[in-house]
Amino acid sequence: MRIRAAVSATLASVGILLVGWQSGSHVSPTAGSSIGTSAGTAGSTGKSAATGGASGNSSGASSSGAASGTGTTGTAGSTATTSSGAATGSGSGTYAGSVSQTRYGNVQVQITVSGGKITDVTALQLTDEDRRSVAISSEAAPLLRDEVLQAQSANVQTISGATVTSDGYLSSLQAALDAAKL
Amino acid sequence: MQPSSELGGSALKARTFDSMGTVVSLTVPAGALPRTAGGAELDELDEAAAAVERVFAGFDETFSLYRPDSEASRLARGELSLRKASAGMRDRYADALSWRLMTEGAFSPERPDGVLDLSGIIKGYAIRQAGEVLRGRGITDWCLNAGGDVLVMGSPVPGTGAAWAAGVVDPQDRAALLSAYELGGTGPRQALATSGSAERGDHIWTAGAGGTEFTQVSVAAADIVTADVLATAIVAGGTAMLHRATDGWEIDVLAVRRDGELLATPGFRA
Repeated sequence: MRIRAAVSATLASVGILLVGWQSGSHVSPTAGSSIGTSAGTAGSTGKSAATGGASGNSSGASSSGAASGTGTTGTAGSTATTSSGAATGSGSGTYAGSVSQTRYGNVQVQITVSGGKITDVTALQLTDEDRRSVAISSEAAPLLRDEVLQAQSANVQTISGATVTSDGYLSSLQAALDAAKL
Repeated sequence: MQPSSELGGSALKARTFDSMGTVVSLTVPAGALPRTAGGAELDELDEAAAAVERVFAGFDETFSLYRPDSEASRLARGELSLRKASAGMRDRYADALSWRLMTEGAFSPERPDGVLDLSGIIKGYAIRQAGEVLRGRGITDWCLNAGGDVLVMGSPVPGTGAAWAAGVVDPQDRAALLSAYELGGTGPRQALATSGSAERGDHIWTAGAGGTEFTQVSVAAADIVTADVLATAIVAGGTAMLHRATDGWEIDVLAVRRDGELLATPGFRA
């Protein structure tokens, strides 16, 4: 939960920034760094940023000016609102935010922008309070059967399954494997 | 997945024995065992298997509710109080309570009728201690499977760093494999435990009348007790417990819903 909150807070701050970045995309050479710096600032504000940012993110994809007005985190907005350029800027590329130190640990995200829209957001770095790195993609997600690692019993050395009784063992795959190795 | 052809059909040797109502299998690569003084290699395998069997027998003697004379049975009948129970019993009870806290009640050492039943963690402890015994004998490449819960060390091909390939049974067709997972080798996970909602031992208790959400849950971890307890907890606690587990522990999970849908962490993804 902590980790998810930290990530969403940071993602949200990126959302805020993107709004600004979209409207200010004419100054693209510095866009990457402004995202990075402000990400750190916004991230540290924690949960409040998350709420504001969520709305900014969704509206940001559609239009420019009005959305950046909702950039309530001052620093993030100020760098971007200088231009009222169209949101359909030609901006594309990958941008890494700086490492944000949140009370949940260090968070760094990377966004991929294509045609002025975020097409991907990944976490580059996330550590918990013990400074262990944490794989944020460790969450279980729905999978199709052919998306899991496939195996035939001939290709494995042991079998994991719900406990069988001693009697049930005789007809189990594990018994067949064991019998071949006696 | 390591192709088994590279391992050779006769490269592994196994010994099995009955304990805790199921079958325990010890598998080692041929040629990886230290030779006993003046003895053959397979004698050492027999001795190692006997040592492992003694570990399991010791736990079973104390903790089995199927043995009327066990300490666990005397506790269950009220002839013995926890206060006067052995240190081993109290330690495992404390561990189980700690797991109940950590899983927010999804794992519990007590049956709905109030009887203390530590079978949900004892097999894991037996496997863990058996592994220590094997290590103590200088055996550094082995695979131990107790009724579908697996702990490995090293590699099936000593010195190569190759992982042990563990298959996961398909709950809808127990003669087939649903998936596989690589254990040991150079990877971070040595243990894989699978719990089912219909398994023997009845140590999964759910409050819901509709039965459990998952028919089978496999958990891979660095430690067999963690893998075993969390697999049990996720079967009992459903999706909420699944997400708590992947949030709070370094594990991989493959869960099968009642309708056959799979939920998996990236470690199980092809």
